[in-house]
Amino acid sequence: MITDNDELKDFKLRPMKCECNYLNRSDGSAILSQGQTVAVVSVNGPLDIKMQSQSIGKATLEVLFSSKGGKPSIGDRYKEHVIRQTCESAILGCLYPRTGITVTIQELEDYGGFLACCLNACCLALLNAGLAMRHTFAAVSCAIDEQGNIQLDPAPAQLETSRATMTFVFESREKSLVTAFTDGSYSDSAYSEAMERCRSASDLVFQFYKQIVSKYSYVIG
Amino acid sequence: MSEVYKLIHPVKFFNDYISKNVRPDGRSFSEQRNIKLNVDAIKTADASALIKCGNTSVICGIKLELATPKAEEPNKGFLITNVELPPLCSSKYRPGPPSDSAQVTSNIVSDIINNSKCVDLTDLCIVPDKLAWVLYCDMLCLDNGGSLVDACIITLMASLKTLRLPTVTYDPETEDIKVDTNVQTKLKLNGLPIATSFAIYKYMDRNVTLVDPSSYEEDMCGGLGANLILCYNKGFLCSSQKFGGSNFSVDCEEKALKIAKERAQLAEEVIDVCIKNYESKTNTV
Amino acid sequence: MPQDYRRFNGPEDSVSYKRFTKDYLKPYNILNDELLNAKELRQDGRALTEARSMCMFFATTQVVSQAKGSAYVERDKTKIICSVFDPREIPHQNEFSQLGQIYCEVKFATFSCPRKRRPHAPDAEEKALSVALRKALEPAVCRHLFPNYQVDVFVYILEHDGACLSNAINAAGLALADAAVPMYDVITASTIAVVGDKIFVDPTESEEYVALTSPETNINHGVIILSMLPELKQISDFTHIGSMDAECITNAMDILEKECIKIVPHVQKVIVANLVKGFEERKKLEKEAAEREQLLNTKMEEWKKLLNAG
Repeated sequence: MITDNDELKDFKLRPMKCECNYLNRSDGSAILSQGQTVAVVSVNGPLDIKMQSQSIGKATLEVLFSSKGGKPSIGDRYKEHVIRQTCESAILGCLYPRTGITVTIQELEDYGGFLACCLNACCLALLNAGLAMRHTFAAVSCAIDEQGNIQLDPAPAQLETSRATMTFVFESREKSLVTAFTDGSYSDSAYSEAMERCRSASDLVFQFYKQIVSKYSYVIG
Repeated sequence: MSEVYKLIHPVKFFNDYISKNVRPDGRSFSEQRNIKLNVDAIKTADASALIKCGNTSVICGIKLELATPKAEEPNKGFLITNVELPPLCSSKYRPGPPSDSAQVTSNIVSDIINNSKCVDLTDLCIVPDKLAWVLYCDMLCLDNGGSLVDACIITLMASLKTLRLPTVTYDPETEDIKVDTNVQTKLKLNGLPIATSFAIYKYMDRNVTLVDPSSYEEDMCGGLGANLILCYNKGFLCSSQKFGGSNFSVDCEEKALKIAKERAQLAEEVIDVCIKNYESKTNTV
Repeated sequence: MPQDYRRFNGPEDSVSYKRFTKDYLKPYNILNDELLNAKELRQDGRALTEARSMCMFFATTQVVSQAKGSAYVERDKTKIICSVFDPREIPHQNEFSQLGQIYCEVKFATFSCPRKRRPHAPDAEEKALSVALRKALEPAVCRHLFPNYQVDVFVYILEHDGACLSNAINAAGLALADAAVPMYDVITASTIAVVGDKIFVDPTESEEYVALTSPETNINHGVIILSMLPELKQISDFTHIGSMDAECITNAMDILEKECIKIVPHVQKVIVANLVKGFEERKKLEKEAAEREQLLNTKMEEWKKLLNAG
């Protein structure tokens, strides 16, 4: 469950630890920690849902996010929107028509790179639930400081001094960009360079997924 | 006849157009709709602007209020932006509290304004720890024809540019506040963020990038609003959001960045011309 | 008041800066005197009995592309936009209703009122206006033609300078006509404000404010709104706020009826102009389609000839 980091200094992500089947009442669940940031995700589906919410050709995906404080806010809706769009592009919804799939995320600790941790945990929980997916996705976050240096998977101290933070989500088949969102202001070249760095770093995350899946399944790995 | 075809085979209807390199409303893939901008239409608001971009109409009204600054930030004023998507603008929204899409759009617009740092909150402070301006910027969508975030940002920037703050005198002993509306100062703006929306559609084996999508194109590309929003602020990117739609490759991205940069310059010119006309009219009157 | 977690909120203790301006707290007498100048003209230059113009330039339909029907009415500074949607099933209803329902919602934009900022959530005044609008529109619409369905009418007041309810009714009537909802007659409405013995037709916000704040002496004051169906000569809604004697009210009703009838030709012009435009566009499209078909036919003939020759 624990993965060792790559020896290359440039592509160092914080240590990731994961446990699947963490919750015993959901169809799939995962708790993932990246450094000190922790999130737990539970996936239920395909479920029977009300006639009004049913969609004839595909599954209806519903995402619920709850923050540590418990009080709902607008930022939560934004996170739900991002996670929902990412998961929808990954899940083969056409195989589960007229059903619903629910993804629930609970924030446990936020020490930088939180939404990336949530997205990775979602992917692991979806794999654990056994839902048919087009591709898996990996999220990598990075921060750009005043001098233009790019730091992957930043810790809170680095986030304080950064001028911009970015998170990119790549898919496993062609490493193309699925989702991206940024904070702060930066130049075009910084954006492209950060995207390329994160693209290469996503390999580490995909390797981590493979390790986790092989530990939990009897046939693969 | 084409209306019936659109309902029965929506995907084939759309694909027929895309295969001929044109969109259902007749534009090419990178053609943008014309922007029509008008400022100071609403006299009860302290500043207002109305934009009409194709079918999308958004009106922004700014109301000024006074309040005590927060204890942890005593020399900063407040800038509160909210986007409202009423049921009036589209049948997708029902009456009641703000829907999820309204909250998400509000969040995106608020993030863009905060990231670009175009308004320095310390400028809004009158007396540290005692009195500061609160700018309530409310964007109301009158007609949702796609590319909402673009329209909201342009109209917000145009209203901020025409906003004038009245002078306030504060007597520290009596805590008496006097506002003089005859002497007004312009709000200082550092930068002018302009957003561009794109929709990304997967046609056969290639990805097609549609600039400035209409609401029909946004629906065909997967739902809630534009897939890619790039925001330029004087040559620097201040926000890039991508969700949904199809996956994005590197060359599409470079093309999109170039188009967004050009659009930012175009929109900036439109805003400048509009405000110059407005100011010359108010100076002569 | 609990903070609305679905919106970004400002500080709770913020107040409008207008409260600290010199001329905020003027006493009633001064405000009353300011309404009319020496020549018996109102603040915006109109006579007491003159309404603001609602000619064709200030009322248009088809402003919202996403709605079935829509209208925008502008009376000098009061700006109102209305949109109407297709009939849909009545939500949360189990029993069959013989008549269709009209669901009305009136909302002030937060920046629309001159004195203060309006909250986002609907308050009592907006709910009262929504109910009044529904009561005014119900007699005009042929509800038996869409049983068990409801038609949504949404009105947004962009700038409030008096006479909001009557202009909302005008806009809603135009929008319903634009949406091709079957109606018995065109619906028009107008407002008057009464201060003492003076009757202000189509009052502005400052005139309404004076009429609604009660003076010290016991004089007539208030606001009356009347909406009617002019051809059928029926009154669909009558709203009266304030205190006045019966003679004043009967006098006011005569004035209001005349005002409502004055608006009718403008409304008719707008609807007819729209219809004519729609027809002409359709004819143009059909002509273009016929031309293209003819081109294709000639091409087909050429190819057939080639095929037969070869």
